[in-house]
Amino acid sequence: MFPIKHRAMVWIAGIIVVVNGFFPAVWILLTSLKTETELIRSPITYLPEAATLSNYATAFTAQPILRFMWNSFVVASLSTVLCVLVSALAAYALTRLRMPHRNLIMSVLLAVAMFPLISLMVPLFKVMRELGLLNTYLALILPYAVLSMPVCTLVMASFFQDIPPDLEAAAMVDGCSRVGALFRVVIPLSAPGVFTAAILAFVNAWDEFLLALTLLNRVNMRTLSVGITLYQGEFAFPWPLISAALIVAIVPICILIAVFQERVVGGLTAGGVKG
Amino acid sequence: MSVVASPAATHAPSPVKRDLSERALGTLLLTPAALLLLVIVVYPIATLFWNSLHGVDNANPAAGEQWVGLKNYLNAFEDERFWNSTLHTVLYILVTVPASLVVGLGLALLANLPFRVKWPVRLGLLLPWALPLVFAGLIFRWFFEYRTGVVNDVLMKFGAEPPQWLSDPTLAFIAICIAIIWKSSSFMALMLLAGLQTIPRSLYEAAEVDGASKWQQFVEITLPMLRPAIFVALIFRTITAIQTFDIPYAMTGGGPGESTETLAMYIHKTTLDFLDFGYGSALAALMFVLSMAATSGYLKYTRRSSGRER
Repeated sequence: MFPIKHRAMVWIAGIIVVVNGFFPAVWILLTSLKTETELIRSPITYLPEAATLSNYATAFTAQPILRFMWNSFVVASLSTVLCVLVSALAAYALTRLRMPHRNLIMSVLLAVAMFPLISLMVPLFKVMRELGLLNTYLALILPYAVLSMPVCTLVMASFFQDIPPDLEAAAMVDGCSRVGALFRVVIPLSAPGVFTAAILAFVNAWDEFLLALTLLNRVNMRTLSVGITLYQGEFAFPWPLISAALIVAIVPICILIAVFQERVVGGLTAGGVKG
Repeated sequence: MSVVASPAATHAPSPVKRDLSERALGTLLLTPAALLLLVIVVYPIATLFWNSLHGVDNANPAAGEQWVGLKNYLNAFEDERFWNSTLHTVLYILVTVPASLVVGLGLALLANLPFRVKWPVRLGLLLPWALPLVFAGLIFRWFFEYRTGVVNDVLMKFGAEPPQWLSDPTLAFIAICIAIIWKSSSFMALMLLAGLQTIPRSLYEAAEVDGASKWQQFVEITLPMLRPAIFVALIFRTITAIQTFDIPYAMTGGGPGESTETLAMYIHKTTLDFLDFGYGSALAALMFVLSMAATSGYLKYTRRSSGRER
């Protein structure tokens, strides 16, 4: 066992990391329970004196937050499906097939997908307008699929690499085609990798702001990240209301990362360390 | 490649033929990714450069967009707001990239201690990453509010005069940097933590036997072993810092005046508020070149390391 002094140090370290990660979320949770009058009191209060849920009721009526959430959900999940599918095929080609210039192709794939979004935003706006796709889900689904393609490809490639080639060969002897072996052997066996890639793609799409702000500007097409900014007035910041809306908005993503935290961490670092 | 078609295992396809068909299949499997990149990235970027050579003549707006050659670029070089927003972007990079590395390294070292229960620490690192940038901006905006913000409340408790954070150019810049550092350091920490966990314990044990202090171990073992992870984290962070948009957008909207405006924000305003596509495209093209320099650094590194590993 560790000496007592060491245990205390570990505790302090843990508390620092946890407080650093959680204090903004805790602060808006507390604020969301305060009334507007309590907020402007001086000096400010930390714990709500008369906790109320009325801000939450207002959050649902002041803006169509459920609609925002639905928009975010549709865009994030469809772009995730597209991204994972496309990246899985690419990752397979780059790890399991004898392709010439594999590293070069991988590099180009990564470089192209890392182009700055803001440079992309200007011409994409024009392209989408010409295609009549402004204010449609497709306008965000396609770019978001590209946005997560590098990390998804890297994550899945690192999982595909670990599958013994014999298993695939066995499937092919049993009459599977190469593509059949991919979908019946390689992908099922790397399910954790595919799943990790999907979570990362989903969170990236859920969080994106700039393209969502630009390409979907009709109120009922807004995604959550943009919709939350509509709660503020030109000069007024109703913080308890904004806080309540923020809490509603971050709960789904918090549940997702809390449940799949180990996978998310593994996926995030696979891209960086192994890449 | 169909195995069924070949009569027997003895008649296995020659290596050359096998390679050719693998190459064909590989190309086929890469096609969807290539198509998506072509439509969403390559074509728009090409039109970006084309658009940047066009503009609307203010004296004759009915004529629509006309070929103006390099005029937009020449205008940019004389545009004070362009230089200022570029300068702000560079300042954000210079301040927040090293700072979030240091904070992230600190968090990673703390998170690497032997915890009996791991999930609270892991979530403490994941939450800032998962929080949308614009939400972090909103929350920090409120921390720095003059009368109701918690930062000034704490300052007053220590007897300091509360400043008007977001109405003063320098203080607003500092406040935005703090928000960016908080938001980005956790992701840095996660990447560095993965690097820390690959360092063999035996190295530290050997150093312990030789009587090395904790600080010596950190400088002589941890930092050198962590160098690849630090490098990747730095490049990632720099690429995102070049595009800084959400947090200043949510905290100050670029104000007071244009004192905290980044290049990305100026491009957004030029294109969508002033509807000047030609000029906005020229600015976006300039930014594109800027960030490509950072990306090529990253690629050089990954190509070298992947060549070594495989």
